[in-house]
Amino acid sequence: MDNSEDKQLSRRNFMKVAIASIGGVIGAVLGLPAIPYIMGPALQKESDDWIQLGSISKVELDIPTLFKKTIETQTGWIDTEEEILVYVLTSNGQDYIVMSNVCTHLACRVRWIPEKDSFFCPCHNGVFAKDGAVVAGPPPRPLDRFESKVEDGVIFIKRG
Amino acid sequence: MLIKIGDWLDERFSWREVWAAIFERKVPHVNWFYTLGSATLFVAINQAVTGILLTLYYVPTPDHAYDSVVYITTQLPFGWLIRGLHHWGASAMVILTVLHLLRVFYFGAYKYPREATWISGVILLLVVIGFGFTGYLLPWDQKSFWATTVGTQIAGLAPFVGDWILRIARGGRDISAVTLARFFGTHIWVLPATLAALVGIHLYLVIRIGITAVPKKDE
Repeated sequence: MDNSEDKQLSRRNFMKVAIASIGGVIGAVLGLPAIPYIMGPALQKESDDWIQLGSISKVELDIPTLFKKTIETQTGWIDTEEEILVYVLTSNGQDYIVMSNVCTHLACRVRWIPEKDSFFCPCHNGVFAKDGAVVAGPPPRPLDRFESKVEDGVIFIKRG
Repeated sequence: MLIKIGDWLDERFSWREVWAAIFERKVPHVNWFYTLGSATLFVAINQAVTGILLTLYYVPTPDHAYDSVVYITTQLPFGWLIRGLHHWGASAMVILTVLHLLRVFYFGAYKYPREATWISGVILLLVVIGFGFTGYLLPWDQKSFWATTVGTQIAGLAPFVGDWILRIARGGRDISAVTLARFFGTHIWVLPATLAALVGIHLYLVIRIGITAVPKKDE
């Protein structure tokens, strides 16, 4: 059709175009909603409220201290409880940093080894210093930090 | 460019011959009732596509079945549409298949040489009803639970083998997690495989033998 504008539109060609267009519309109506349907859960915004970790009184100077906190999350149609573990470090009793225990290499969980004065990751021997800096092994960047605040001796971190 | 690719593929697959055999075959002058078979096929494809999409989220266990269906319908973008198409398409499948069967019956199109087409079609109707029966349980709400209770109880009334059929259908004496799992497995694996094979045979025969003309008054 495109190469002969002066040629009359034949019945056969009209039907071809009509079938292709109607089929295209039906295909789009059926196919396009599938994309957001599949991607939906991936695009969902996570909540970013403050999580109360606990009293800072147990945090000693220059020693990463483990805090455990069970938080409620919703995954799909299931309400689950998830335990998060973070290390809190202070060098002056004023400023606190809160580090994730998730290795920045491939997301195994790191552990503070007091005798070695470092964090170790069991999966691929990643080693981090007490402030989270990479000392050895494959991790590409320091341990992730949470945004945190201290109110009346209680430390909070921001979710997400 | 596209024509070149088409030519390249045609040289290897001869797909144009196949295309011509399927879409450019001679058909007698017929009426709109002859579109019922294609309409059924179209809805069947809709059921397959939306059904596959539903399995991305649906979980066939008593703990999760209902919640996952609610999640699909209320939380996911266009989940209501995908489930709605599958839900209403299911009814459309049964209606269209029966209408198609009636057309074939009243036009006498089941006669020689199309008996095999007819027989495969009748089995296809049973498969479609099987889809409806197994799919009805999957939302695991009150309606589906009691409908399946009644449906399997009816099967249980068959003389001699009834109780045996009921137990096989339910996977035990009661409707349970076992029932839900086997209905789901039947609905998404056994029946689709059967349907695909039979549709293949059915369409091959339609193309191979051709369709009947509208019967004349004196026939």
